[in-house]
Amino acid sequence: MSEVIALDQSAHVRPIRTRLAVTLFTFGVLAVVACVLAPLVGSTRISLARAFDRSIPFADNVDAQIFFIARLPRVLAAALVGSALATAGVVFQALLRNPLATPFTLGVSAGASLGAMLVMIAGVGVTAGPVSAVPLASFAGAAVATLIVYVLATPYRRAMSTAVLLLAGVTLNSFFSAIIMFVQYVADFAEAYRAARWLMGDLDVGSFDPLIAAAPLVVIAFGMFALLPSALNVLSLGPDAAATRGVDVARTQRLAFFSAALATSAAVSLAGPIGFIGIVVPHLVRLLVGVDHRIVLPASALFGATFLVVCDLGARTLLAPVEIPVGIVTAMIGGPFFLWLLVRKGS
Amino acid sequence: MAARSQRFLTAFALVVACALLSAAPQQQRIVSLVPALTEMLFAIGVGSSVIGVSNFDAFPPDVSRLPRVGALLDPDTERILSLRPTLVLIYGSQTDLQAQFRRAGIRTYVYRHGGIRTIYQSLQELGDATDHRPQADRVVRDLRARIDAVRTRVAGRPRPRVLLVIGRQPKTLREIYVSGGRGFLHEMLDIAGGQNVFADIARESAQPSQETLIARAPEVVIEVHAEGMFKTSTAEAERAVWSSLPSLPAVRNRRVHVLIGQYLVVPGPRFAEATETLARTLHPEAFK
Amino acid sequence: MTLSADRISYSYSPAKTLPPEGGSHEFTLTDVSVAVSPGSLTGLLGPNGCGKTTLLKLLSGVLKPDSGSVRLGQDELRALSTRAIAQQIAVVPQETHPAFDFTVMEMVLMGRHPHLGAFQLEGPGDLAIAREALVATGTAHLAARAYMTLSGGEKQRVVIASALAQKPKVLLLDEPTASLDLGYQLEIAALLTELNRERGVTMVLATHDLNLAASLCDRLVLVREGRVLMQGPTREALTSATVQQLYGVIADVAFHERAGHLTVIPVSRQ
Repeated sequence: MSEVIALDQSAHVRPIRTRLAVTLFTFGVLAVVACVLAPLVGSTRISLARAFDRSIPFADNVDAQIFFIARLPRVLAAALVGSALATAGVVFQALLRNPLATPFTLGVSAGASLGAMLVMIAGVGVTAGPVSAVPLASFAGAAVATLIVYVLATPYRRAMSTAVLLLAGVTLNSFFSAIIMFVQYVADFAEAYRAARWLMGDLDVGSFDPLIAAAPLVVIAFGMFALLPSALNVLSLGPDAAATRGVDVARTQRLAFFSAALATSAAVSLAGPIGFIGIVVPHLVRLLVGVDHRIVLPASALFGATFLVVCDLGARTLLAPVEIPVGIVTAMIGGPFFLWLLVRKGS
Repeated sequence: MAARSQRFLTAFALVVACALLSAAPQQQRIVSLVPALTEMLFAIGVGSSVIGVSNFDAFPPDVSRLPRVGALLDPDTERILSLRPTLVLIYGSQTDLQAQFRRAGIRTYVYRHGGIRTIYQSLQELGDATDHRPQADRVVRDLRARIDAVRTRVAGRPRPRVLLVIGRQPKTLREIYVSGGRGFLHEMLDIAGGQNVFADIARESAQPSQETLIARAPEVVIEVHAEGMFKTSTAEAERAVWSSLPSLPAVRNRRVHVLIGQYLVVPGPRFAEATETLARTLHPEAFK
Repeated sequence: MTLSADRISYSYSPAKTLPPEGGSHEFTLTDVSVAVSPGSLTGLLGPNGCGKTTLLKLLSGVLKPDSGSVRLGQDELRALSTRAIAQQIAVVPQETHPAFDFTVMEMVLMGRHPHLGAFQLEGPGDLAIAREALVATGTAHLAARAYMTLSGGEKQRVVIASALAQKPKVLLLDEPTASLDLGYQLEIAALLTELNRERGVTMVLATHDLNLAASLCDRLVLVREGRVLMQGPTREALTSATVQQLYGVIADVAFHERAGHLTVIPVSRQ
């Protein structure tokens, strides 16, 4: 009897409903605050009063133009991409049963980069409505990479072997990276520089069009994510252990793989491969809320948005008027963080 | 008697031959890895001596039948050597190449990238290197005269604030590269009667954020692109892309110009023509 | 509800399933029939590689037999969904290595997964079942601890608690004490006995440990090279003769008064 009482008083046994509600509320508020405050700050000083002054015609109101055309889409893009990459990271880590996996481990990002490179350098100018060539080709490249990895890792429609999955992804990564290097090599100077710049990540979308193109994809991915958390918990015990607890392993793996690949593809097509979000955010979140995916997944989605919005804020203000590519900012935070993680685990 | 005269005649013939050979101007064989320098060679009249060009050369049309020997990142040393050049024009960063040619006893001329003054200097230096200095001086004089003429034409006119775009992806305004306050493009703009909105940036090129573009509020936008991803046929469509930034004065006043042509972006003898084009674009009334 | 296998055969090939991760490769089963009556504690006994793990997996529904059928009561496992099976059959593997740092409570609550809907979170009823499982396995005081920080015996007890939380009709265990020290082996053995005798949990235990089988099981199925050598009550199935047939070893099989069950003393190789 006393054992049972002791159980109730221990923190980790607080009912999950409460923990979920508290977590979502806290991280949600954080995300909203970040998204509201970030557009107010930038490399140019603007007057908020003027920006929101309706009496001035928009065409004459530079402050309003900066706020609504330059900053707001950019902050929203950061939120979307950060959220997508962080959540994809969580899902890939669960799928590969490895906390060191990232959204880029399985070659999706390399495929996206190659698609973008080919357009930038070969100069193919195909567009589809409001979507311009580079994001389109980037998404196509990501899709091709995803399919190749899937086919390699799924024999005879059975469950995926995580070992084969990892191998296929890493191999594809190397292969595509080699092609990317070659393409850059044969390009001329300016194109090669532009390609290198794209690989550092860029959230400066300048309009809502790219967001409108990417958002539905991310929403679909999130819809798929919502079906996963409880199964991912069980899946991380191993495929057999998961099966004996009622998880349809093959279906869960497929759902996890494609949803995370979709989110990653959309994010990279929109803003280039911005690294470290997919690993820093899930780990930070796990440190704060534990490892239950039902909490980690939504928390990472919210915290990922906050994280990238803040990183991009730093990228565009720290050395103003010079902009630091946002991928460099996330790397500068992510690198030391990783080292600290390793030291902590080692000790 | 016959044997001795034969030997004497042979010796005499040899001496005359040597004298003739040394007196004749040595036949030049020039390989150029730098398109701008290739154009200069043709401009000063030694085009016929050019026996090899880089992969990126396109002007004048004569170069299309010349062998290609690589470029900045991938110069084909073997190919160059096989052409037996007497002079090779290379980039400053190609130090290994320079050392190789020195060992092979081949003269090199190193390209310096700079403003308009560097273009004049390079022309004259190439003139020295190819024994065509007088011709080079004449070319420089002509160019200076054309530039002065442009200056005169636009003198006294109001100088609009110009955004000079030197690179971007087709169909989108993301990742725009602009000319900063240094380099020949900036100087050409200045001569043509425009004020570079990014003159304060002490670099040849920069990638400003959308926010900065809006904040600088240029009155005119001029894009200069070599043929490639931007074609004359798509120039109009590319102009229309700017309507996504309706706040810019340039867009509102319909003063967005997309100019396409390699002559616009090569720091060579055609820069005067490019300057005239810029001036005509900025101040059409001055050219009526 | 009787769990039974009726003349099942299975041969392992890469086209059918992935190699068991970290486990040994066991191969063909031929014409195996087994019946597990409710409340019994049956042992699948045989040397490594004889097919007992494969048999266990077939009984749990993780593998599907090439021919023959596995039934729980009247239902063929083949016709049931993974969820439906998991609501009635639970498996305790030899080792459990979660990829993430779950707490003991979280591990045990995962046993409720087959009973929860897609978006359902565990309610007070589920928490009560989990607590009960923890108490039954003597691990309630570990509820808030991280699973990975536990000792081998504690870990295995938590995994058993997780399986119990599934409220299964049959509990299948694969070499539950193989990787444990002697002390923990006895601990788990005692726990399993208690669960079977006092709580009536039907169990099937795959093991190569003769003495463990002798001490725990009331029925034995002797498996050799993919076939059933013999099956029946322990006293009948476990004799010097059968041990020799199964292991190729000469051994003494005798009832030990103090221990209260049969013991097997290996004497020499054949």
